Amino acid sequence: MTAMTTIERPVELKGTSIRSARAIERRRLLLWLVPPLAWFTVFMLIPYATLLYTSLGHVDDMRFIPGLSLDNFVRVFTVDPYLSVILKSARIGLMTAVFSSIVAYPLAFYLAFHVRTQRLKFLIYLLVIVPWWASYLVKAYAWKTILGSGGILNVGMQNLGLVHEPVRLFLYNEFSVDMTLTYIFTPFAVLSIYAQLERVPTSLIEAARNLGADGWMIFRRIILPISVPGVVAGAIITFSLAFGDFVAPVLVGGPDSVMISNVVINLLGVAFDWPMAAAIGLVIITLGLLLISASGWLEEKTQTRF
Amino acid sequence: MRAFGNRTLVTGMAMSVLAFLYAPILVMMVFSFNDSQYTGLPFNGFTLRWYEALFSDEQMLMSIWNSVFVGLGVVVISVLFGVPAAIALDRYEFPGKGLFRRIVMLPLVLPGIITGIALLGFYLTIHLRLSLYTIMLGQGTALMCVTITEVFARLQQLGKSQAEAAANLGANDWEIFKNVTFPGIRSALFGAMLIAFSISFDEIAVTFLLTGRENTLPMTLWSLLRREVTPEVNAVATLIVFLSIILIVAGMYASRGHANESEA
Repeated sequence: MTAMTTIERPVELKGTSIRSARAIERRRLLLWLVPPLAWFTVFMLIPYATLLYTSLGHVDDMRFIPGLSLDNFVRVFTVDPYLSVILKSARIGLMTAVFSSIVAYPLAFYLAFHVRTQRLKFLIYLLVIVPWWASYLVKAYAWKTILGSGGILNVGMQNLGLVHEPVRLFLYNEFSVDMTLTYIFTPFAVLSIYAQLERVPTSLIEAARNLGADGWMIFRRIILPISVPGVVAGAIITFSLAFGDFVAPVLVGGPDSVMISNVVINLLGVAFDWPMAAAIGLVIITLGLLLISASGWLEEKTQTRF
Repeated sequence: MRAFGNRTLVTGMAMSVLAFLYAPILVMMVFSFNDSQYTGLPFNGFTLRWYEALFSDEQMLMSIWNSVFVGLGVVVISVLFGVPAAIALDRYEFPGKGLFRRIVMLPLVLPGIITGIALLGFYLTIHLRLSLYTIMLGQGTALMCVTITEVFARLQQLGKSQAEAAANLGANDWEIFKNVTFPGIRSALFGAMLIAFSISFDEIAVTFLLTGRENTLPMTLWSLLRREVTPEVNAVATLIVFLSIILIVAGMYASRGHANESEA
């Protein structure tokens, strides 16, 4: 057919007919699309296919036996502790997302509406991203120095006479994991909410003020609804990062605060059960795809057009 | 007037959040000067010996260099493959576009460990020996979405009219990219490169499974934190914060002149 043959024609024909223009468009699309597509095929899709192949087999006497069994997937949902650890990781992720949004909002708000000079805005923005560069591990460890039983908080409270014995509640439990993760990932939430708040036109605020709205009302009726997609985007990132974390449980968590990434590492390193680890991986990949679809839908639905 | 609400209250809350963000970093810095074997209280006095220890610690210095090397590689990969992906997503409609977009975004929401085991299984299958390059490929895959989303967002802001006008005036694809598209996305691209490098520099989860004999800085710190911790880890983290501030400020000032003209 003609559409097929126009691809082979020289470029001088550009624009002579709609059909050849389309063919050129298609060739240009391939120019941009093929390199990333090839990359993601080799480094994601093929590895995922390998994962699927592995998950359908089993391990016998430290050796991998290929197979076609869904047993490992059944085990993810029925054998303890897999499902309960996935749910616990999701709970920790959710707490982190909620806490980071709450902590991040005032700073993003200040940055978007109350910083007067460009220079100060640059400085505050810098202050938000610099903590990224301080090693995650050392920051998490610093919380130990602050919250531990011989830590700064406890010694300070004892010196002030508030308590007589070190409070052990601060460290080695799920709360300290939530708090450390919130701390680590809050900058992501700040940037995400700030990007959305920057979009609010100044004229909208002025109009509301001229119509007699006070600050609280402007915030509740205009700013908060507009900021929802930014909050959602930030929450998705903080949730995901916290869900997959395996460092905080080891450094500041208690004996029972193992998360799903720790379980997967143990399956590989200790139990040598690759098929089980692969099955968990695929379940989480599926959940991840669902999360992306849900977040895309949610952000689309809550986005305000100006 | 853009500002509304109680200024004192808003400023106070914002400053408390910043205090929360900087408390552990301050602790980390202060204890890097502590004249004690341990990173915690009591503070025994000021010393620079942990910085001396750091500069004579071959393994630590080597792992810093390894991290820089991996980070630079990740930036190159994500620019070379991420920018075309963003352009394809911005300009064209094609079958499977929704799926492509989801797959590209997937590593962002996936635990690094999962990306790690998928790649490790793949490497083992094709008998690829683990090295800094295998880390680079893994992180590049995981962090490419940063570049794609940042550049894509900028392209959407810019719109298509300029590129179309250039095409109508007879510019070829390369000229359009060089003279229209690239100047438009330059500041967003620079920001994305900075983010990708900083995340790569501190990346643990993907790296954890893909590390061969050579360690990146987070891997070295991780093994130290699990054995004997000395204030040397505080010293190295403090040093990196200061180096990064210098780098970020210099980079931002350098790209500022261009950033203003392309801002929508």
